[in-house]
Amino acid sequence: MSLYTEFRKLKRTCFFPAFAAGGVLSAAFPVLNMAVRSELFTAINAPAIQILMENNWEMMVMLNLLLLITGACILYHIEYAENGIQKMQALPLREASLFFGKAALLVPAFALMAVIEAASLIFCGARWFNESAGTLISDAAASLGFAFLLTLPALILSLMISSLCQNMWTMLGIGVLCVFTASMLPADSFLASLFPYAMPFQILPGMETEQITRYCIAAAAETAVLGSAELIILKTRRLFA
Amino acid sequence: MKFISLVRVEFQKIRRSKILLILLAATFILWLPSVINADAHFHMQDIGITPENSFFIQGFMGMTWFISPAVMTVCTVLITQTERTSNGILKMLALPVNTAGLAMAKYVVLLALSALYFLLNTGAYYISAAIASATQSYDFLLAPGYVLEQAGYLFLSSLPMLAVFWLIAVCIRTPVFSVGIGLASIVPSVLFINTKIWFLYPMCYPFYVLTVEYGRLAENMADTQLKLVPWIPAAAIITIICLAAACLSFGRAERK
Repeated sequence: MSLYTEFRKLKRTCFFPAFAAGGVLSAAFPVLNMAVRSELFTAINAPAIQILMENNWEMMVMLNLLLLITGACILYHIEYAENGIQKMQALPLREASLFFGKAALLVPAFALMAVIEAASLIFCGARWFNESAGTLISDAAASLGFAFLLTLPALILSLMISSLCQNMWTMLGIGVLCVFTASMLPADSFLASLFPYAMPFQILPGMETEQITRYCIAAAAETAVLGSAELIILKTRRLFA
Repeated sequence: MKFISLVRVEFQKIRRSKILLILLAATFILWLPSVINADAHFHMQDIGITPENSFFIQGFMGMTWFISPAVMTVCTVLITQTERTSNGILKMLALPVNTAGLAMAKYVVLLALSALYFLLNTGAYYISAAIASATQSYDFLLAPGYVLEQAGYLFLSSLPMLAVFWLIAVCIRTPVFSVGIGLASIVPSVLFINTKIWFLYPMCYPFYVLTVEYGRLAENMADTQLKLVPWIPAAAIITIICLAAACLSFGRAERK
């Protein structure tokens, strides 16, 4: 019931169209890059998806993160804008279910983006590289699936920040600063790459199995920790208000 | 009301907005890695740039490429949202004030925030260069005249970008799109500075100006000249169209 209500609240916010548009925009990067300088990339001797990811993923992930922040911001902005949150708090509902309802909408929205991006990578692979469709699809699915998992902590953290900030610009400002911090962190340090907003910058193709497991565990752990932290914050927030 | 008092009113509206904290944090995050990794600037022989120039360019590069446009998008959200919460805009429109003047006053506030951010960064550059000079026993400080001049150029070249951001904030009423487009428009600027039509994309102007300066300072990099002819007219036309459209459509939805 809570999920459906949350979904209905988004009706006039253009939430899902925005994510679809963002997905198309970020899917355009590899296509444009290949269309303009394909000789540069086809000359490299490596799996197609690896070449495509290494040359485009940084910009795509930047777009993904910025859109995630915007989406998270909107999800709570519609509550805070007209004091809707007070009405929600007056209902016999736990605040946590509000949070997880919103998270349950943000996850498929982001998944939609990831699917569009995967489709674009497969298209580029089929159009400019001669690799079998099966390899392309499985490579792209694995890469984007990995990226999706690694983005979950950032997703929860964005939503957490926006649940704490009443003003839209405070949330956006903090989110933008977080993405910026992630882009400034040293790329070679494993510890620094565990920062939720830095983790999605990792690329699956070419990574060692041990490293992959470490990142997957870290992503799952961070998601769980951030989720429980949000639960505690929601419970204790009114004590300090 | 005189234009100057309109601007003063707009400044009073954002007095308690804590935007200064965000600007300060953005400056701090930008310059802290520069101080920590100051020794990296000694290994730039293959590009042929001196460490002090490299320190200056790298720091400002981080600012112009991402954080300054992103922070300015946040500022447009701040300016429009302070008005929309509690329907403040209806009260403003009820006043005997020219709406175009109101829109321009808000643009001036945006310019002032941007100028403030550039000044903060220039200040932070001197503080971090002084710290790096002390830790590395090498003089990283550049002449204030040069740094201020460059910061001034960067600010001027960001005026069309701010006009576009302001138009987006005024015209697109759905927050998810106005913010999303603003933030998403930053990312392709890396692609645009490498194309011949960079002058059609205002978001990449400051970044382009700085890359040209980088090429001039570095001996082993291709020296591109900043061609003023297609750029300045294009920039002027874009700015004027955006500001005119913003003035025309400001408050239109509320007046219906």
